[in-house]
Amino acid sequence: MIKKQAEHGHIKKRSQFQETWKRLSKNRLAMVGLAILAVLVITAIFADLIAPYPYDEQDYNATLQSPSLEHLMGTDEYGRDIFSRVVYGSRTSLYVGFISLTGGALIGCIFGAIAGFFGGKTDNIIMRTCDVLHGIPQIVLAIAIASTIGPGITSALIAVAVSSVPNFARVVRAATMTVRDQEYVEASASLGGNNTHIIIHHIFPNILAPIIVQATLGIGKSILLCASLSFLGLGVQPPMPEWGSMLSNARTFMRDYSYMVISPGIAIMLTVLALNLFGDGLRDALDPKLKK
Amino acid sequence: METTKKLLEIKDLSIHYFTEEGVVRAVNNIDFELMRGETMGLVGETGAGKTTTARGIMGLVPNPPGRVVGGEILFEGKDLLKASNLEMRLHRGKDFSMIFQDPMTSLNPILTVGDQIAEVIRLHEKLSRKDANLKAAQILEMVGIPAERMSEYPHQFSGGMKQRVVIAIALACSPKLIIADEPTTALDVTIQAQVLELMRELQEKLGTAMLLITHDLGVVADTCNKVAIMYAGQIVEMGSLEDVYDNTMHPYTKGLFGSLPSLSMKSKRLVPIDGLMPDPVDLPTGCPFHPRCPDCKESCKSRAPVKTEVSPGHYVRCLRYE
Amino acid sequence: MSNTLIEVQNLKKYFKTNHGMLHAVDDVSFTIEQGRTVGVVGESGCGKSTLGRVIIRLLEATEGKIFFKGEDITSRPSTLDDRRRMQMIFQDPFSSLNPRMSVSQIIAEPLNIHHVCKSKEELDKRIRTLMDTVGLAERFTNAYPHELDGGRRQRIGIARALALEPEFIVCDEPVSALDVSIQAQILNLMQDLQEERNFTYMFITHDMSVVKHISNSIIVMYLGNMVEKSDADELFEHTLHPYSKALLSAIPEPNIHKERKRTILRGEITSPIDPEPGCRFAARCAYATEECSHCTPELEEVLPNHFVACHHVRTINGL
Repeated sequence: MIKKQAEHGHIKKRSQFQETWKRLSKNRLAMVGLAILAVLVITAIFADLIAPYPYDEQDYNATLQSPSLEHLMGTDEYGRDIFSRVVYGSRTSLYVGFISLTGGALIGCIFGAIAGFFGGKTDNIIMRTCDVLHGIPQIVLAIAIASTIGPGITSALIAVAVSSVPNFARVVRAATMTVRDQEYVEASASLGGNNTHIIIHHIFPNILAPIIVQATLGIGKSILLCASLSFLGLGVQPPMPEWGSMLSNARTFMRDYSYMVISPGIAIMLTVLALNLFGDGLRDALDPKLKK
Repeated sequence: METTKKLLEIKDLSIHYFTEEGVVRAVNNIDFELMRGETMGLVGETGAGKTTTARGIMGLVPNPPGRVVGGEILFEGKDLLKASNLEMRLHRGKDFSMIFQDPMTSLNPILTVGDQIAEVIRLHEKLSRKDANLKAAQILEMVGIPAERMSEYPHQFSGGMKQRVVIAIALACSPKLIIADEPTTALDVTIQAQVLELMRELQEKLGTAMLLITHDLGVVADTCNKVAIMYAGQIVEMGSLEDVYDNTMHPYTKGLFGSLPSLSMKSKRLVPIDGLMPDPVDLPTGCPFHPRCPDCKESCKSRAPVKTEVSPGHYVRCLRYE
Repeated sequence: MSNTLIEVQNLKKYFKTNHGMLHAVDDVSFTIEQGRTVGVVGESGCGKSTLGRVIIRLLEATEGKIFFKGEDITSRPSTLDDRRRMQMIFQDPFSSLNPRMSVSQIIAEPLNIHHVCKSKEELDKRIRTLMDTVGLAERFTNAYPHELDGGRRQRIGIARALALEPEFIVCDEPVSALDVSIQAQILNLMQDLQEERNFTYMFITHDMSVVKHISNSIIVMYLGNMVEKSDADELFEHTLHPYSKALLSAIPEPNIHKERKRTILRGEITSPIDPEPGCRFAARCAYATEECSHCTPELEEVLPNHFVACHHVRTINGL
């Protein structure tokens, strides 16, 4: 079936990016996701201007207060303004989430693609290493890393990145193996394309969908993992605010002061939701077959 | 049962798919009839509406997006389109069954072939498991597979053998009509010859009527009594083999014969039909074949031809013969 | 002969499998002349596709030699220049085109790999010329493969193969996935291109009528072995090998008057894994004797320029 676009011939060339954006912008849910993400990123960048109080200002006259005009989301057990802490916390959380995920995804994709494309011994070595990595509990891994380079945000980053590598490697390997046997890969080889050319031009564009799904799901997980590391004292150090650690600290007060849990909880939920909406939209927009 | 010889009669059947891109007019006002024991070939290219027709008869048009928008399908005089889902389920497998194109995917890989045949039998006949297995073994023997292989799984069979199993399942309840959708397209020629031979033999023995859907005019010449040529959802020419092969009328049918490289003659160049199959969402006005037709006249662009009987039993849909 | 383009000598290609050695191509020799078409016929699993891939060196030969214009190309690693001179047209016009690339990107790929065009304008012009050559309208430049029908997709595949102006093209069942009316269009296009540019084709197919139509000479393969080889007309006039005969008689012809003497083969293709010595067709052959199952028949010239590998070819055909 020849679609209208081909029929009425726009011979003008459009770049891949423009094409994708055009399709993405038609997806309302993805645009909602993108808008939320934009708000979050702006919040993180301009935290100093938005937050009414510094994140570490303690006010012992106003501890554990319910939301009011003065403190939009109430205060915590040290009298710190929760709204300000959530705003500052977006910096740490988004930073840790994105950086660790990007790092993990990059390494995972490269190894997964190599394993899937070449198969045999290479595949075995890479995948068994991933299995071993997968077998170590993430917390233990983080403790090991933290004890070598010292606790802090960097060790949390590395720990989260390393623990997401096997997931990516596995997904990418499986996808690569199905694409590898397609005739267009062989066709490219017959034209003189070398392996790098084939992996970049033919394999990757065709396995983007599972990578994006894995990434959008993974970012929420890495924010949470980072939170639990902070809770153990291995990640972000107090008084630096971070959604996950705020959530874990508030746990003790959950029964009487539920607003303390709700605010960082909603922040995490919104981030994950926005990423999922945007990720789904991006996956569809990258697939020319779904072009309407 | 009844004494009438007419087994299946299709009157003015139209099936459309309602998609986001518009209405796909897959089958448009087709009529044909099939007598008991007769074999009719339904020939056409990809997108001609052959498979949709078959699905329509089986009551398996995916809904949504598909819907039968008009016409009647009379099986032994009873309109199948008015039958309930339950009635249709009782008909399928027992009165008519279907052989699919790809034997690799139409068998369940985790059941033994014996179980798959027995399952169909037990759906329609009140038999004990043991009797059903016994009957399954007989049917397997009938299609030329030793009964010992009953307990084997589909992957242990080769392509041709699998297609025999598929035929065995279709024949399990001795249906009166078999609809075979490109049954040999996925097979090698020597295996195709075996399977066609088997189908011919069984048909003679059991007196089953068959609607053979194919794109291969050679297969039709080998197996059928009657042939209908479909184009863009319509039957453009229909008649006995002699009518259609020796006295070809419709320009599309002529084009099909011209496109085939011949084994008996050495031709320098083939005479293909120009252009492509029209988009069923956006069918041309007038005769749907006119943009590709070598004898297209002005009137063809505006007026749709109707079914015309040029000689007894030989129908053509073309303005030249009206 | 001076105008021999490809010469294949005792070519073998074995694959290691879990069950043993799979003899995909076993001791095949032939020559292809410049500007001619050699047809390779056989059923699935006979090694015809592997043979094509070994010749253009998508696969490495296990044994044997391939000469391209007299130069032994098997003795050295394959170069970009080999890729340019020998191209392939694939069977499935769907899976042989990357769904994420537009028509122009697909045709540009070989040109980019070989750095043929100096500028963007030159590349665009080249793509337009190629599309024109294979009969693709310019409005499809930015279309994606899934938006096009099978015939147009196959034209893209042909344009891609022509981009580097090769001398030798292996066509692996290029029309078997197409509808008959489109198949005829593509066959005509390929013939026109050959006449115009003196291409040499190796045409791999299972369809006897197509191979008869397009080839100058024909090779019939069965389980990795070459069983018959001769000029096209000669082969159809005097079909000598029992397998070729069966293959020919199995084709349903669109002719209702031709009374056919059908030879239905029993059984199916046997496994090409670690085959025993002997004629591989013996298990399905009506004429097989003791000798056939022990002793591998050699290819011999039974009639002038007509080679057959069968012990009983003379008795069967009364020669």
